[in-house]
Amino acid sequence: MLSRGWKVGLISFAAVVFLAVGAFVVFQPVQVLPRVRLAPGFTLTDQSGESLTSEDLRGKFVLYSFTYTHCPPPCGDIDATIQAVQSRLPEVELYGNQVEFVTISVDPDRDTPEVLAAHAADLEAGPDWRFVTTDNPGALKDIVGGGFRTFYEQQDDGTFLLDPGFVLVDGYGVIRNEYRYQTVSPDVDRIVRHIGVIAEEVEKSTGAATLAYEAAHLFLCYSP
Amino acid sequence: MTDLQESPRSKPVGRLLPVVLGITVVLALFAWLVLPRLRPHQFSGTVLQSEVPAADFTLTSANGPVSLSDYRGKLVVLYFGYTFCPDVCPTTLSDVNRALAQIGDEAEDVQLIMISVDPARDDPAKLAEYVEFFNPTFVGVTGTDDEVRSAATPFGIWYEAHDEEGASGYLVDHVATLNVIDREGRLKLVIGYGTGADAIAADLEYMLR
Repeated sequence: MLSRGWKVGLISFAAVVFLAVGAFVVFQPVQVLPRVRLAPGFTLTDQSGESLTSEDLRGKFVLYSFTYTHCPPPCGDIDATIQAVQSRLPEVELYGNQVEFVTISVDPDRDTPEVLAAHAADLEAGPDWRFVTTDNPGALKDIVGGGFRTFYEQQDDGTFLLDPGFVLVDGYGVIRNEYRYQTVSPDVDRIVRHIGVIAEEVEKSTGAATLAYEAAHLFLCYSP
Repeated sequence: MTDLQESPRSKPVGRLLPVVLGITVVLALFAWLVLPRLRPHQFSGTVLQSEVPAADFTLTSANGPVSLSDYRGKLVVLYFGYTFCPDVCPTTLSDVNRALAQIGDEAEDVQLIMISVDPARDDPAKLAEYVEFFNPTFVGVTGTDDEVRSAATPFGIWYEAHDEEGASGYLVDHVATLNVIDREGRLKLVIGYGTGADAIAADLEYMLR
């Protein structure tokens, strides 16, 4: 039999551990985005006819979107969301991380580099916004359908069935969040905030803090 | 020498000395043996929270078709490489072999599969000979260009052949990570090139628990 002193000690110890874990879960001292899965590996061609590979983007945060230039409204909202994110990016601390925007066209037959270049010019897109596709339909399906899990299918009238969505990928090529079934304002808020969250994790999860961040991944302290 | 030692109270202290020493030794042993085990494992690789099984594939080995899903219940270490690979692939494969040797008997539950990113030159027989040189349990698979690309894309693997001046033939640039798939078929860990056998063994041992 344990003495009364031991019992009190053990119960206090258990209580302290329970409270510490509870406090971590409730107050979420660090917030993280889950590492959802790997983003696909790819070689695509951009609006200047240059190749863009998944490796070229390693080390940068990338916001992917999926559309095609002949897409009828409200498809334009997809480009508008990117523009809104770009204009609001100065609101968050990036700690020197670069953010790139990659819009993948699911319509390579009509979206030649020239057409994509004209579209980019219409949108006054800067050099950090690439419009890409590939004339290999199997590879395109593997990348957009398989890797980014974004459904698209061409209809008889030439339009596409397309689930609009945005995918945020970190510098390790890991998908950190997907934004689907919404178009303009709510997504913009979350995307901008989430870019800040992953920049903060890159900056602060060094040394002993790594443990706190890994614990946050385990205890699901996910940023809403 | 001092008053304290000559005082009558020094006698009990003297008798307690072996007990105190004993407790100190036990505490030190505890700290030495047990505390390192309580420290949470820090992975050398990047841990993913994938909730669905990794993309399946079916490719061809020297012993017939091989699917990722054939290995449910084991850890699968998936590597993309090719037999003409000058140094990165041999280094990685021998690191994995040394890691498995360190793990010991439990390494039976780890299966390395190398997928060729050079299907034009790597036929199944040649791949088998190549990977078995590093470890007789390793499996090498290949397929058509389209099959290999479809298998590689969801694991973030980019690869591209390029002509190398002075080299015979061509080289294939490829992402050189090790992708570790857990017993339930989910991609859980991505280990970068150059991690080393010890660190690979530590990560795999933790996942085997």
